[in-house]
Amino acid sequence: MSDAERHTPPVEGSVRQHVYDGIEEYNKRLPNWWLFTLYITIAFSIAYWFYYAQSGLPEKDGPRVEAEIARIEAERMKTSFELTDANLWAMSQQALIIEEGKTSFNSLCAACHLPSLKGKTENPAAIGPDLTDEEWVHGAEPMALYGVVAKGVLLKGMPAWGPVLGAEKSAAVVAYILSYHEAP
Amino acid sequence: MPKPSRPSIDSVTTIRDDGSRFFLHPADVRGFFSKHRRWTGLLLIAIYLSLPWIDIGDHPAVFLDVGGRRFHLFGLTLAFQDAWLLFFAITGLGFALFFVTSLLGRLWCGWACPQTVFLEHVYRPIERFIEGDAVQRRRLDASSWTKEKILKRTAKQIAFVTVSAVISHLFLAYYVSLAELWNMMHTAPKEHGGAFLFVFVFTGVNYFNFAWFREQLCIVICPYGRLQSALTDDNTVVIGYDERRGEPRGHVTDPEAGACIDCNRCVQVCPTGIDIRHGLQLECIGCSACIDACDEIMTKVKRRTGLIRYDSLNGLEGGKTQWIRPRTIMYSILLVVGMAVAGWSISTVRPANMGVTRMTGAPYIVSDEAVRNQYLVRIVNKRESVQSFSLEVIGAPAAFTLTGFTGTVKVGPLGEEVFPLVMQVPRSEYTGKFPLELVLHAGAEGFELRREIEFIGPDPKLLREDSP
Repeated sequence: MSDAERHTPPVEGSVRQHVYDGIEEYNKRLPNWWLFTLYITIAFSIAYWFYYAQSGLPEKDGPRVEAEIARIEAERMKTSFELTDANLWAMSQQALIIEEGKTSFNSLCAACHLPSLKGKTENPAAIGPDLTDEEWVHGAEPMALYGVVAKGVLLKGMPAWGPVLGAEKSAAVVAYILSYHEAP
Repeated sequence: MPKPSRPSIDSVTTIRDDGSRFFLHPADVRGFFSKHRRWTGLLLIAIYLSLPWIDIGDHPAVFLDVGGRRFHLFGLTLAFQDAWLLFFAITGLGFALFFVTSLLGRLWCGWACPQTVFLEHVYRPIERFIEGDAVQRRRLDASSWTKEKILKRTAKQIAFVTVSAVISHLFLAYYVSLAELWNMMHTAPKEHGGAFLFVFVFTGVNYFNFAWFREQLCIVICPYGRLQSALTDDNTVVIGYDERRGEPRGHVTDPEAGACIDCNRCVQVCPTGIDIRHGLQLECIGCSACIDACDEIMTKVKRRTGLIRYDSLNGLEGGKTQWIRPRTIMYSILLVVGMAVAGWSISTVRPANMGVTRMTGAPYIVSDEAVRNQYLVRIVNKRESVQSFSLEVIGAPAAFTLTGFTGTVKVGPLGEEVFPLVMQVPRSEYTGKFPLELVLHAGAEGFELRREIEFIGPDPKLLREDSP
């Protein structure tokens, strides 16, 4: 049976008008499940458009993303205590917090400030200043120290450790440094 | 619901002219290919069902731990940083598929595709068991709702939903591990709402697909079927009817007729409702049921088998199948190159990852004494045990100093640690930027990770002019 014999000749009106490269198309009905799915998606898209673009019910994308970023930042910078000079001095007396700060310090800060915290005093070739003396380049109060640890000092090459450590660990590092000083 | 008298090459048997579905009940068939197909299908199902139970090392053999961001594949642990390997996995699968398809057409569809494997070796046997053979099932379809029909249909739907639920739950096990799945099944749904919803929906999808949708997926939805015309040619081995031998069809006693006796067994057993004697068609999934059906009849009427057989279109017209041709050569080259690159890239995977980035802030710092570059080294330990690492720096000039990541450091199991790398060159010695190679040595394992970085600084001439 040749290709021509295989096909029944099209009944009048059963073939669509267009011809592409000699290929004609039968005018057959799409399966009902296909049409049903199409109608549902059309209805869904109208409802979706109405809900998101017209109704004003859901939050807009811009504010939603900003709120989410703010939430993550707040989560990272969250502390179970309030960041004040007094609180940081108090933390510098607590052994567990000092231990935590010491771990972070030895892995991240000792490279420049040396494990003894003495920095340039111990070794003039060291990069970071002495953290055990009373000379403070960027402010002496605990909150000033916290600011340096969290935000860094761009011009001097002091990195910002806030994004790496988070607020609680940064405060612990400050507490560790303060433990080398006498609280007022 | 009458069956269309004969399948037509101009329409899809399972889609009637008014758009409604003609539900197919293929007749049962036995034979060489059916037997091997059944065993292949059962083997694949066994693998699917048993893999979550098999542990290699500390993990299930195939554990795509999306929550923990680690993929465990037969002892190889991939961290999120290795996600780039997915590119090779996907293109490798693609090239392999093209290669196999150019040689053997839709072999995958009839023998290995989950759609066919689950439908033919799980769901249809259940249907067969409860509702009887093809003739009985058609009669049941056409009958009104008698007590017998209600009972049988209810039993069948319950069985189908149960099987769908089992398949869906095990599917989840690949992503959360079997232990965690068991845990989830013993706690309230709201504690793992996402997973519960997924399994619920997936069970529904499976049930709908295998109870009703069936071959519509192969005919309308699956892109692989539509790709065939691009991937195959007249030398691809497909399933076909030997027209030269079979035509003209006639009664078995007619000496003038060809081998085909028009018994229509090949049509009755077809799960997609075509007549293979019309030639290679879109709907044919290469399941080889028609081969077994025809061979059975040919044996009965004492004629040579193979009237319907695996052969290329050239072969069916009496020519020779040309296996080696530009298409297959091209696909083989692509496949070999793809596999080589994929193999090499997987071989670079180590039990740890190292990421080296400059610290945020200035790219270099100039102090009174030195030019300084500051890096952060992040080490990801993919093992379940503590690993120790040391860093070697190659290519440093004489006066170079390094602080931070010196000596040996430890990283906990499946942990990530960050270490600073602070490098300095005295101002008087600085003559411009230079490359460095960092080599991370893993203590116990003996493997190493290498990274090239650059020490940068200001223009040395300007630096000298600006002496403090």
